This record gives sequence, structure tokens and C-alpha cells, in this order.
Amino acid sequence: MSMLKRAAALCGLLVSGLLLSACATVKPWQRARLADPCMVFDEDASLAGYRAHWLEAREGSAGGSGVQGGGCGCK
Amino acid sequence: MQFHAFQDSRGVTVLSPTVDLEKDFTDRLGLRARFGVDAISAASDSCARCHSEGANSARAVGSLTVTRKFGDTKLALGGELSQENFYRSTTLLTSISRSLNKGNTTVAGGYSFSFNQPTLHPEETTEQQYAHDAYLSVTHTLSKSTVVQLGYGFAQINGYQDNPFLRAPVNDQLTLGHSPGSRRRQTLSLRLRQALPADTFAEVDYRRYFDDWQIHSSAVSVGLSHYFTRRLLANVSYRWYQQTGAFFYQPSYLGNPQYFTSDFRLVPFDAGLYAGRLVYTPRNGLWGWRVGSGITLQYERYRANSGFDAAIFTAGLRVPLGAGNAP
Repeated sequence: MSMLKRAAALCGLLVSGLLLSACATVKPWQRARLADPCMVFDEDASLAGYRAHWLEAREGSAGGSGVQGGGCGCK
Repeated sequence: MQFHAFQDSRGVTVLSPTVDLEKDFTDRLGLRARFGVDAISAASDSCARCHSEGANSARAVGSLTVTRKFGDTKLALGGELSQENFYRSTTLLTSISRSLNKGNTTVAGGYSFSFNQPTLHPEETTEQQYAHDAYLSVTHTLSKSTVVQLGYGFAQINGYQDNPFLRAPVNDQLTLGHSPGSRRRQTLSLRLRQALPADTFAEVDYRRYFDDWQIHSSAVSVGLSHYFTRRLLANVSYRWYQQTGAFFYQPSYLGNPQYFTSDFRLVPFDAGLYAGRLVYTPRNGLWGWRVGSGITLQYERYRANSGFDAAIFTAGLRVPLGAGNAP
């Protein structure tokens, strides 16, 4: 992907964020269900991290879940 | 604490106990430490060529992260060290996140730098690899029951990226593979969490990956969680994955190719991952431990159309060491 396309994708992401921030705001007393662990991305970080580790050792792609560690010599 | 057992059709078995400790010193300062060991028993083709009885190895990994809050902004600094028989990795990482729109929107970003040193076993030569990794994400609450996240990741890896154990057939001779010394990876992700009636929650994740080795992949994951009681949570999920092959991958090579590989991770294939998980958090604590303690059991099964198959079992224990509150 060219530098221009990458910059466009990044800008699109930021603009999407700004546009989404204009949506209706959920009040604090309406957030009961949002506080459930099932609504949190990667709530069990250790479990998610282990899955990402062995998938990266067996697939040709990686990423999409925050910054990565140093990998391994997995063969 | 978690214990993972991994076994695949390549003859690799890995037993991995891990310990995570989290401590909030104040409501603005926290520390997280992790230590884990991979006990590896490998009879894969990459090992069996010289070790017909298989080969044992071990990998130890430790990490430390400090988190500090400044109002609506959270900053994390950390590092990770891992050491195994023929590979050493040192990583420094940082991330920052900020809540906006009265907590309905969170913008987060992070960067990590890794210095990796693979050893070209059975030689004593050590190579070097440098990896830069960055990500940016926006998480937004769409409604009282819907949360979405958009993410972009970028990674640049320079240095040694061959596999020192796998040999490709070049002119009918098995030859140590050679890959490009640079790799640029990008990911775009879209994730959704939806609360449904009757204590049920749905999850949908999509990730699109592409790199300059011309590997493109898509991964779609869907899952469902349900509380049978407030103490017992069950989750089932399915992940579908598809990838193209690297531009220099061929089943065999003729002539004098610049790049050649037999790395099974660089071939085109499809795969499916089934997972089931149970989380039990008793009201009065587990086995006499503090309130908030619980157990997690998970089973995963991975099947690729390349013939690769893997099964993973995880058992986890969560114990609050400070004053526990009923969840």
C-alpha cells in the first residue's frame, strides 16, 4: 500500500472517530450493561495474548490487537 | 495464573504456565507483571530431520508494565524479555489512551520496538532483527448496548527473517530457505460488542491484513456469551481465516531463485478455529480464597485445509490478593 493510501486510511480512521463522537452520548446511569466484562475488548488480556502468540506462530499474518511483543523462534 | 496445553499435527507439544500480577498502588498508578514458560517438545519436520526422537526446548518470557493516569489520559510504559534455546527477544513498548465525549469515545495508540536475535542452530552464528510496531484505535459507544472499535496497525521488520530450520527443494536439493530482509505489515480491524436480551452478548471481529510479501489475509470471528447464572458464564466462538501465499512461495524451485522458502506460514490456506469457554466465579470465593476468585476453562480446535490441525486447552485461576469485592 502506497504512503498516500496509508495516510488516507489513517485520516479516514481519525475522521470516523470524530464523526462517531458526534453520535448520541450514553449517560453514566445508562452504562450498566456496557460495564459487563463481555462488552470489553480483550477483557482477559492474558488469554487473548496467548491466542495471538500461537496464531502468529502458525499463520503468515499478525497484529490487529495492540502493539506486539518480540515474537519467538517457534517452528 | 493460567496453564495452556498446545498440541498440533506438526508434532509440536507446548505446555505453558503463566502468572500475571496486577497491583493498583493508587487510583492513578498501576503495575502489571507477567512471567511465563513454554516447555516445548518438538518432533516437527524442522526438528526431526536431525533429531529423530524429537527435541525439547524451553522459552521463558517476562514483562513489566507501569500505567499512570493523568485525568482522562492513561499512559503505559513497559518492556518484555524472552529467551529460548535459539532465540532471544527484547521489547520496549509504550501506549497512550484518552477518553473523550464523556467517556463514550476512547482514542488509543501505541508503539513497540523489538530487538530479536535468532541463532542459526546447529551453527553458533547469531543474527539480528529489528521490529517497529505501532497501532491506533478508536473505541466508541454507539448505544446503551453497542460498542465498536476501529483499528489500524503498522509494523516494519528489518533484518534476518529466514527460517533456519526449514529447507526448500531447489533444483531437487533441499536448501536452507532465504526470505527478503525487510517486511512491512499493515492491519485494519473492526470489532463489535452487542448486549442482547437474556444475559447474552454477541461479538464480531474482522481483521484485514496485508504486507509487502504480498500475503493478504482476512479473519472473521463471531462469538456468543451467556450467563447461565450470574456466577457461570459460557462463551462459544468461531474464527474463519484465509490467507494468500508470499510472492516468492512455490512448492519447488528451479534455476537460481533470489528468494525461496518452505515455511508453512507463507503458503496460501484457509482455516477455522472453534472455541468454547466456561468462567465460574462463585459468590463467596473459590476454594476458600477471597471473594472475586474464579476459574476459567477453555478448549480450542484449529483446522486448516493444508492439513494442519491443533488443539489447545487452557485452565485459568484468578485470585484477588487484596480486598476482594463480589463481582
